[in-house]
Order: sequence, then structure tokens, then C-alpha cells
Amino acid sequence: MIELYHIWKQYQKAQWALSDITFRVDKGDFCFITGPSGSGKTTLLKILYRQIFPTEGQIVIDNRNILKISDHKIYQLRRHMGIVFQDFRLVFHKKVFENVAVVLQVLGIPRKEIRRRVFNALRMVNLHNKMWEYPAHLSYGEQQRVAIARAVVNSPKIILADEPTGNLDTELAFEIMSLFKDINTKGATVLICTHDRELIRNFGQKILFLYKGKLLRKESL
Amino acid sequence: MRNFFSITIICLTFLTVGVFLALANNLEHVAEQISNNMAAVFFLDTDISEEQLNAIEEELKRSQLVLETTFVSAEQAVDKFREKFPELQGIIENIKINPFPPSIETTFKEKTITFREASGLITQIKNMPGVEDVQFNQEWVDRVNSFSRLAKAVGFFLGGILVLASFFIISNVIKLNVLARKDEIEILRLVGATNTFIRVPFLLEGITLGVIGGLVSLFLLLLLINSIPIYLGSRPGVLNELINFRYLTLSQSITIIAEGGIIGFLGSLTPLARFLKT
Repeated sequence: MIELYHIWKQYQKAQWALSDITFRVDKGDFCFITGPSGSGKTTLLKILYRQIFPTEGQIVIDNRNILKISDHKIYQLRRHMGIVFQDFRLVFHKKVFENVAVVLQVLGIPRKEIRRRVFNALRMVNLHNKMWEYPAHLSYGEQQRVAIARAVVNSPKIILADEPTGNLDTELAFEIMSLFKDINTKGATVLICTHDRELIRNFGQKILFLYKGKLLRKESL
Repeated sequence: MRNFFSITIICLTFLTVGVFLALANNLEHVAEQISNNMAAVFFLDTDISEEQLNAIEEELKRSQLVLETTFVSAEQAVDKFREKFPELQGIIENIKINPFPPSIETTFKEKTITFREASGLITQIKNMPGVEDVQFNQEWVDRVNSFSRLAKAVGFFLGGILVLASFFIISNVIKLNVLARKDEIEILRLVGATNTFIRVPFLLEGITLGVIGGLVSLFLLLLLINSIPIYLGSRPGVLNELINFRYLTLSQSITIIAEGGIIGFLGSLTPLARFLKT
């Protein structure tokens, strides 16, 4: 499903953000990438949804080398991904509903269907009653849940989440993780960057440990 | 505010083009008016023979272009002069000889002839024996037409420069709008929007700005044209023709609006390009 071959990434000379990362995530895996801050987790995710290119290496997703997809066709890859960004990336002048609906709008889904799916996604993260509010009026944790709703609303084949529970209390974090697990049981491959050991212990199936840009070890529980 | 600025510059652009186009239209109209009353006066030799005169008159009457011809003898010409300019009678008295040659005044059929046809006939008559000179108002028509062409050329030249200016201004306004929505564009890219999906709202914005600018310029031109008679009052002369100022034709108006839209469209194409990568 997701295969990385000898991925190297260098932002500045003599400083490797990622060094020779090779791993494979199978279809339907629930995988955690963990490691301390600055270990390269976010860089790795960015490379997977091709916001940045690796300096070296190849990435194959669904038997397709994603580094060879042209810029104007990259949407074909991203439409199958649900991405939760570390900084949420919500549009603050648009309401919660619009923030989530955009994923479906780009697919040309009818308005009525969009309304139904967005409502369901927001109900999953317990924000359906704040559908018509602006993100700025929500708490940090609520904003994070909006970002999660946006990532799952399209029932994507792959979910990439960068610290999706970083600002949530333990109870809510477990709820969100259960949500990801539900989506995973329906067939989606989930890749989550986190350093929350509790979550890893409870939900981890495959764990990748990064340290200073190197893959220290892989564990399958 | 930015959008207002774009609309203003587009409006000024098309207002300039519109003013010169309207001027050219009106000069063309003046030329047409003159050509509708086309007349020629053939001045004859004072000692022209009866045969020569008959030959000229017959040639003119035979022509399909001529409405009527009137022979004016040298004596009739003096009388006419005296009648029209009684205060200058003394000059004629002092000269003692008749300075006016006999002539044939010819009027052409309205709107049925072209300048070329009239010129052909006039040249033919001018070359006949007994004809000394000819006075034809085609020169005026030509002059007015030249002014009309000049007005159009100036309009298009200034318009061209201003079109370029408005292109860059729209481009920059859209660029600022794009920058203000940079994060949103990035999110759209990351959730799988096609470039077209991202581009369309900006292109529509550019087109709307252009079309509104074009429409406002047409409205201002209408106000300007209607205010000309008020400003000029009742001054007589050729201005009477211009006082009755004509607006742009429908096709010219549509062209201005369409060009506004095209400038807006092209102006908004480029600023997005760099945000549609990665």
C-alpha cells in the first residue's frame, strides 16, 4: 500500500531531516510513527502527501510512484487521503461546516449529500452543534476535532494524521483514536504521528520509531 | 478597496477609448452629412463656346450620379455676389471688369454615389475643353474622414497603453487577493482540489471586475455625451453637428464590455500560477 525506499531529506547542508528511511505499510494497517520532537515525523508525513519532495528515495502508494505524479495531477493522490495537520489548517473566515465540506465540494458531490456527510462527520467528533460557528470561536481542542472531521468526511483510503490528539484531553484523545480505529476497520490505512505512549500502547498495531531522522526500529504488536 | 481601484482603472481605460471612439463616430457622421450634400462647381473659360458648354452640360446630365445642373453666367455670378455680400459691392464697382467666370453648379444624388464615382465624373468633366477649374466639397469629406481616422488611432493608442496598465493592475489586485487567501488555496490543494477548481473563483473575480469597469465607463461616457450640449450652449457652426453627439454603437459598447472581461480574465491568470505548485 505505502512503500518508502531509502528516503533522504535535507533542508540545509550537512543536516539530514531524514536518513535512509525504508518501510512498508500494508493496506488496512493502523500504524504509529513516534519519536521525540525534531525526529522527522512531520517531514515524513509531508513527503507522503507530497507537499515536499525527498532529496533522495522513492515512494510507492498503491503501486504508483508518487514522486512522478505531475503537480497538476497531484489531486488524484490527495483525494484518497485524509490529512490531519499539526497546525489544523482551518480557514478562519469560513464556518465549521464550510471547512469540512470543502473536501466534498472539490469532488463535485451534490449539496444535499455534502450536508448529510458533513453533519455525520461532525457528529462523530461531537461538534455537530457547532456546525455554523467560525473556528475562531472554538477552543483549540475543538478546532483540532474540526480538522479531524475534515480528514475523515470523505472516507479516504489513507489517513495521515500529525499529532491529531495533541491538544485533547485523554478521554477525548481516546475517542478520536477510536474513531480512527473505526475508519481503519472499514478498510482505511491509518498512519499517525504522535509521541503519546498511552495511545500507542492502546491502539498501536505497527510502530515506527524515529530518532534524529533515522528509523531506529519497527515494531508490530 | 483593491477591487474599487481595479474597477476605476478599467473604467478610465475604456472611458478614454470610448471618448475617442465616440469622437470618431461623430466625425464620420459629419463626413456623411457633407457627402449627402455633395456638390461641385465647374468654373468655365470666359470665352467658352456654345458647343463646348452644351457638351459639358450633356455629359453631366447623362451621368446617373447627377441630380441637377444649373448654368450660372458671369453676370449672374456678379449678381449673386452682390446679393450675398452687399457691403462688398464697392469692390466690384472699382474693378470695372467682371472677375467671376461662368460656371455650372452640379448637385449629386444623395447617398447614391461614392466619393470615387463622383471623383471619376469630376475628373472627366475637368478634362473637357472649356473647363478651367472645379470646386468640390470632397476635400472636406476627406479631411473630416482623416480626423475621424486620427481620433480612432489616438483612441486605440492611448487605449492600448491603458489596457496594458489595467492588465497589470488587475493582475496585482488578484495577486493581493491570492496572497490574502494563500492558506485557503494551500488547503484546497491538500484536500485534492484541481487547479481549475482553485482558479475559477479568481478568474470570475477578474472577469467581474473587468465587466463592471467596462459598464461603468459606458455609463460615464453617456453622462459625458449628454453634458456636452449643456457645456457648449447654443454655439453655432460645425459644432452643431457635434452638439448632437452620438453615443457608441451597440457593437462598440458590447466590445468594450467584452474587452473588460477579457482583460480581467487574462489579468487573473498569471498571479495564481506559483500557488498551484506542490
